[in-house]
Amino acid sequence: MYAPVGHAATQQAGSGGLTATEHRLANGLRLVLSEDHLNPVAAVCLWYDVGSRHEVEGRTGLAHLFEHLMFQGSAQVKGNGHFELVQGAGGSLNGTTSFERTNYFETMPAHQLELALWLEADRMGSLLAALDEESLQNQRDVVKNERRQRYDNVPYGTAFERMAALAYPEGHPYHHLPIGSMADLDAVTLDDARAFFRANYAPDNAVLAVVGDIDPEQVLRWAGRYFGSIPPHDGKVPPRDAALPDIIGAELREDIREDVPARALMAAYRMPRDGTRECDAAELALTVLGDGTASRLYNRLVRRDRTAVTAGAGLLRLAGAPSLGLLDVKASGGTEIPQIGDAVDEELALLRAEPPDAGEMERARALVEREWLDRLATVAGRADELCRYAVLFGDPQLAFTAVSRILDVSAEEVRAVAAARLRPDNRAVLVYEP
Amino acid sequence: MTMDFHPQPAPGQARPWTFPVPGRGVLANGLAVLRCHRPGQQVAAVSICLDLPLDAEPDGLDGIAAIMMSALSEGTSKHTAEEFAAELERCGATLDASADYPGAQVSLEVPVSHLPRALGLLAEALRAPAFPGSEIERLVRNRLDKIPLEMANPGRRAARQLARELFPASARLSRPRKGTEDTVPRIDAAGVRALYQARVRPATATAVIAGDLTDVDLDAVLADTLGGWDGDAAGPAPTAPVTPDDTGRVIIVDRPGAVQTQLLIGRAGPDRRDPAWPALVLGTYCLGGTLTSRLDRVLREEKGYTYGVRASQQVLLSPAPDGAARGPGMSLLAISGSVDTASTGPALDDVRTVLRTLAAEGLTEAERDTAVQNLVGVAPLRYERAASVAGTLADQVEQHLPDDYQARLYARLAQTSTAEATAAVIAAFPAGRLVTILVGDASQIRAPVTALGIGEVEVVTA
Repeated sequence: MYAPVGHAATQQAGSGGLTATEHRLANGLRLVLSEDHLNPVAAVCLWYDVGSRHEVEGRTGLAHLFEHLMFQGSAQVKGNGHFELVQGAGGSLNGTTSFERTNYFETMPAHQLELALWLEADRMGSLLAALDEESLQNQRDVVKNERRQRYDNVPYGTAFERMAALAYPEGHPYHHLPIGSMADLDAVTLDDARAFFRANYAPDNAVLAVVGDIDPEQVLRWAGRYFGSIPPHDGKVPPRDAALPDIIGAELREDIREDVPARALMAAYRMPRDGTRECDAAELALTVLGDGTASRLYNRLVRRDRTAVTAGAGLLRLAGAPSLGLLDVKASGGTEIPQIGDAVDEELALLRAEPPDAGEMERARALVEREWLDRLATVAGRADELCRYAVLFGDPQLAFTAVSRILDVSAEEVRAVAAARLRPDNRAVLVYEP
Repeated sequence: MTMDFHPQPAPGQARPWTFPVPGRGVLANGLAVLRCHRPGQQVAAVSICLDLPLDAEPDGLDGIAAIMMSALSEGTSKHTAEEFAAELERCGATLDASADYPGAQVSLEVPVSHLPRALGLLAEALRAPAFPGSEIERLVRNRLDKIPLEMANPGRRAARQLARELFPASARLSRPRKGTEDTVPRIDAAGVRALYQARVRPATATAVIAGDLTDVDLDAVLADTLGGWDGDAAGPAPTAPVTPDDTGRVIIVDRPGAVQTQLLIGRAGPDRRDPAWPALVLGTYCLGGTLTSRLDRVLREEKGYTYGVRASQQVLLSPAPDGAARGPGMSLLAISGSVDTASTGPALDDVRTVLRTLAAEGLTEAERDTAVQNLVGVAPLRYERAASVAGTLADQVEQHLPDDYQARLYARLAQTSTAEATAAVIAAFPAGRLVTILVGDASQIRAPVTALGIGEVEVVTA
């Protein structure tokens, strides 16, 4: 139960001989099934089309807190029974909340698959039967400790939260992170949680992927049996408008004086939305610029200038708002930030001016392809990708062609997206000074 | 409108799964090779295990093994550091080098389609590293820059303090793997070359290769790559016996203003060759393996003090059974997590209550059964990726365990009784003989922690 800041860097999928079939129950639940009999395992992944972008003012963190409540029992599952039953069956499980969605997943020994479906259906259909004030109070405290552990008690822990708050203006649905604020977490009531469930947790707002050593006909029968009678509803409130101009228009900057171990320069560039060819070009551009130990930034700042301890960049793909190009440099020794900033700007200017050479394109494509192979190496990874493309783009099959779309992008398109987006007037900058 | 409810379904027929036992061979240069075909795994994993325990580092040069391992890929006879990194990444490969107390490893992951090319680069790094002075200087300075970054992380700061407390200053185990602000500046290219010449050679190394090898003529590829690595024979690296000090006490690493306290409560235990290891694994899982284990049941799910507290065991030393002056194996047994500052005293009290209750009443049959079902059941999930398989096989090599250790471990877990698991976990975590490290705000937590009467409470600066 973990609130990632979103999808880190690159995430896409490709074919490799994989196939999936799509189905829809009468209540609107979409199913995506994909067979792989190499190992006796099966992954269940359930994406609900609700994330922190659906939260309203004063209730940041509600989607993620609610995700925790989904593990606190339902009509037929007592207390921590969801965890106990899955783990006792030899499975592993979790849930995560991002800006754009909430996912729940169980990876099971194949012969225990039906149990996972039964458990997911029970909480989709009957969570409110078990939800009580005690669970809410307890999980509120757990989530506040999660926030302390992952954001407030680690150096630079709130950097991404600050950058999102700069890059997306006040009132924008992506202005705040899924973890939410302490004050808003404190304010959540049982009625808020109940209303959130009623609005968002319904079969017609979810996609269920089942991948692995499965018999698709049997999975369809089980899905019908367990999920088929859960009523749909149409109470969902769509997220607020997330449209923004392509370019921020002026550099935004926040200087932070904090007890951190090294100076740091971080930046978030407003990038094209996921699902566009420009977004795929942006992924290659940021890979050339800042992924790996042969990237332009690493070679320049860590190897040659020796002004940085670490230097990297990557793309956070977002479908419902502009994506973010994220830059992170920690300064070496006594190096001052302007020296690093000037070097970064020189590298960006080069990327905007000339297409990457063949060797750099080969490197970027190989790293992107590798990342995609890693994602698809497990049944759980495949199930998650299928859900992602089904929920965010309406077509799970796009998961199998995603990597080929990226590899198809030309060096000139990489230059073009850099020229359009990787500009000083299109970034939110954070500078840390100890 | 409500849904139709159905009874909880019963499991189907299980398909058997076993952890793969690798094929073992030796190349003409003496390099042992473990190979493991993993159907469908398109990202291959290669681990090279070197007989380089940290005890082999020269006195006063803590961290030189880590620098040497990193420097293998920072320039070779054929490529500069930049060229080498670019060549690797054009294969879609990642290369990690590590130097740990029991031994050093280089780990390569690469799409199978590029495995021959990447193995060629790996062989080049092992056979002909250039160790350019300028690159060694850069790595030394980079390491010095990283120490404060790592020590700012409460978990890592706690681990450093615990090692210092548990083991005598003379023992390498008491000091950080990658050295300190005092030792790292003394490392230079000459020292790195000397360590390489002393300890890096095929005759005392093992290569582990896992992945879908259907389309790979591995013998031919190995002959062209790692087969060309040469070197003379060498005796086993020295390791020294260590006597830990687990006198119950508390050390607070002061972090004024910290909103949480990092807990690390530990002592030394046996290595995996101990006959009670499977029982220890089971018992530790019941204590703190997951959210429904005893610790989190109270600290998280009842009290809300934490996002999660875990109990674990990690092998630190597992010397070869042959040779002189070799001590017994050792692991670190630990309970770790973080709690909000105000809950530090109550949380520690609860940890101790959980341990005392466990010692008094033991584990239940149901707890033991669930632990076995989980630990055995998740194995096929845990080992889907080639890198997971290669990593476990490499650790077996490094710890001088038989090649079928992990495969047999699952059967041994299933045969372990509740009484055995109880005895092992009680012996491992006696409430009165644990060293407690707290990284947090001393002004807030000292008084409530002292009031618990755990033992002497010392405050050190961060």
